[in-house]
Amino acid sequence: MDNAQYAELFLTESREHIAGVNKALLELERDATGPGASAAVASIFRGVHTIKGMGATMGYAIVAELAHELETVLDRIRHGDLAINVAIMDVLFRATDVLEKAVEAAVAGRDGEVVATDLVATLHSFGATAPRRSSGGWTIPAPAGAGMLVRIRLAPDTPLRGVRAFIIIKALGALGEVTNTEPPIEQIQSDGFDTDFAVRLVSASPAAEVEDAIRKAGDVVFVRVSEPQAAPRRSAPVTIETATAPTSAPAVDTRSVVGQARHVRIDVRRLDTLMNLIGELLIARGRLTQLAGELGDLTLEETVTQSSRLIGELRDEITASRMVPVSHVFDRFPRVVRDAARAVGKQIDFVVDGKGIELDRSMLDEIGDSIVHLLRNAVDHGIETPEARTAAGKLPTGRLVLSAARDRSAVVIKVSDDGKGIDRERVLARAKRDGLVDASRNDLTEDELLRLLARPGFSTAEKVTDLSGRGVGVDAVYTRVRALGGAMDIRSVPGQGTTMILRLPLTLAIVRALLVRVADEVYAIPLAHVSETIELESEILRTVKGREVLLARDEVLPLMRLRNLVGLPAYQPPSEIALEHVVVIDLGDRRAGLVIDELTGQEEIVVKQYDAVREGLPFFGGATLLSDGSPSLIVDVSSLL
Amino acid sequence: MSHTVLICDDAIFMRTMVGDILTQAGFEIVGEAETGLQAVEKYQQLKPDLVTMDIVMPDMGGIDAVREICKQDPQAKILMCSAMGQQALVVEAIQAGAKDFVVKPFQPSRVLEAVQRVLG
Repeated sequence: MDNAQYAELFLTESREHIAGVNKALLELERDATGPGASAAVASIFRGVHTIKGMGATMGYAIVAELAHELETVLDRIRHGDLAINVAIMDVLFRATDVLEKAVEAAVAGRDGEVVATDLVATLHSFGATAPRRSSGGWTIPAPAGAGMLVRIRLAPDTPLRGVRAFIIIKALGALGEVTNTEPPIEQIQSDGFDTDFAVRLVSASPAAEVEDAIRKAGDVVFVRVSEPQAAPRRSAPVTIETATAPTSAPAVDTRSVVGQARHVRIDVRRLDTLMNLIGELLIARGRLTQLAGELGDLTLEETVTQSSRLIGELRDEITASRMVPVSHVFDRFPRVVRDAARAVGKQIDFVVDGKGIELDRSMLDEIGDSIVHLLRNAVDHGIETPEARTAAGKLPTGRLVLSAARDRSAVVIKVSDDGKGIDRERVLARAKRDGLVDASRNDLTEDELLRLLARPGFSTAEKVTDLSGRGVGVDAVYTRVRALGGAMDIRSVPGQGTTMILRLPLTLAIVRALLVRVADEVYAIPLAHVSETIELESEILRTVKGREVLLARDEVLPLMRLRNLVGLPAYQPPSEIALEHVVVIDLGDRRAGLVIDELTGQEEIVVKQYDAVREGLPFFGGATLLSDGSPSLIVDVSSLL
Repeated sequence: MSHTVLICDDAIFMRTMVGDILTQAGFEIVGEAETGLQAVEKYQQLKPDLVTMDIVMPDMGGIDAVREICKQDPQAKILMCSAMGQQALVVEAIQAGAKDFVVKPFQPSRVLEAVQRVLG
């Protein structure tokens, strides 16, 4: 049987388990003796154990061996033979990392590439001195082959155990077909094993009967019969010498795949395709609605209306099916923060808020790395060392909060630290030196601060560290967020901390937009960023310091003219009463007026990835096809504000 | 009803010892053989419930005797008596049809356990 079809499932599940292991490791590290410790160890053990079983089934030798050694150490911890200390925690963390790499490498067909010999030896040194316990781990890996896995332990004083094992195997042969043994049968017969051996048996007999037959064959102290699984591929030669380390049986738990009924795993690419199709369908719907309107056939219009509604519901369902809780990605961050904090000797209390908030799966995957950037920045540059904090009258342990919250049709992600804040003086000095701001300035607004930090290569870090400070932090995040149709904000108070705010649309693909016309072009403005539209009457227009502003509801808003932005001549009204319109765009609490010729309608638009032309107009964030089939540029509100 | 046993060993010492162990446990020793050939003949003649079989005997070794007996009676219950270091031979005997084995020096408990297993 070809295992390739299981590889992705293996990868997905292994990643989940590794995330769970990391989470539990952090809990364990935080409180190694508390009431939650044993639950954490048990949880780690289960995760590793499952990975081991799956890895062995897939024939990924390195994964299986590493998990096996890790499991051995965990088993000792679980039984209280090994106390948690810094050294062990470090090894466990490291082993989990290498295990993750091994999993990825194995699935990519490079099973042998991750070299873990040293780590295995280290693990072994923690695990190997475990006293053999009657219920303890098994000493040999599961043999590859078809059928149920039968593990047998003989009494330590068994005479001629090779022969005894042979009798047992023969007894099993009477129940079915023995397809493989571990160690190989020749080695078993010549006493080439300790007390444990394992057999693959294809048999119609129930496990109890198999076990009974084995026990009857004599000198058996333990038997475990695991039900058969999908026939595993013959495992690659085991390259790590671990034959004497105790371990547990890699029973493969497939229940999480098929058992818990109400979920089906779907390749996310399939959802992407569905999303694209529904996008095309929405365009067609718009076209259809328009044509039906023109024809004026009532029956047709009715049918089109009904189809439209159904297509809308379909869109909603597909959008919903792509939503996953941010915890999918956030759950690995505690580990990231912990490692980063340790690397620079800082004490950080990391809090994650709003894990249940849902976001489009693709969006979440896209934004994960950016959040890591921000977290690392906060650890590296934001939060001070315990000494510096104490000197500043703060608690030695810094606080780093990652939160997600829903705000209308956007999700707002904040990374907030209580560190020293961004050094504006230094940013200003650097900006002056680079000629980015006027030399006479002695302060920077938050917006200017963001714009400066978001410049490629702009860094004020004194030295480059492993974590950040290579000048690829904020600008990379800023670019990414904008590419996703989102926006970014910085709030920084000297001595009190910095908050980075990312505002992301719920989904990448479909947004409702206001269509506006300027000259002969129709542009789309995402409705999420439109607070109102006003006719541009001369009474609400003012000029302040040579700049046009708008008076709207007792508020003075900066005014921009789209015509100016795209380089068109001023509007020539066709008649006295024809007025230009202002679209009031907003982003968080920033607002501005955008003057356009005419409002033409609202439409659901499908955002097409748009490769912005370098040095092109920066305030367009994408392109779309309108329902009449004509292309339209999408205004990137965040770049205007 | 007690089980009947045929003891096959070329050494009187071993036959006596095995005989004592089994007799004390309530078995009935119905015959003894000193060679493999004798073992085959006496098996046909006595149809014992159990045979204890030494591996190394003159005039047809124990393994050949097992093979011969099992050819005639596939249900024959034969317990091999072996010394340490004979595992390859014991495996061969098992392949030939023997049901179990005990290892010299005999411990009564082990012998009886093995006998119980063979008689099932």
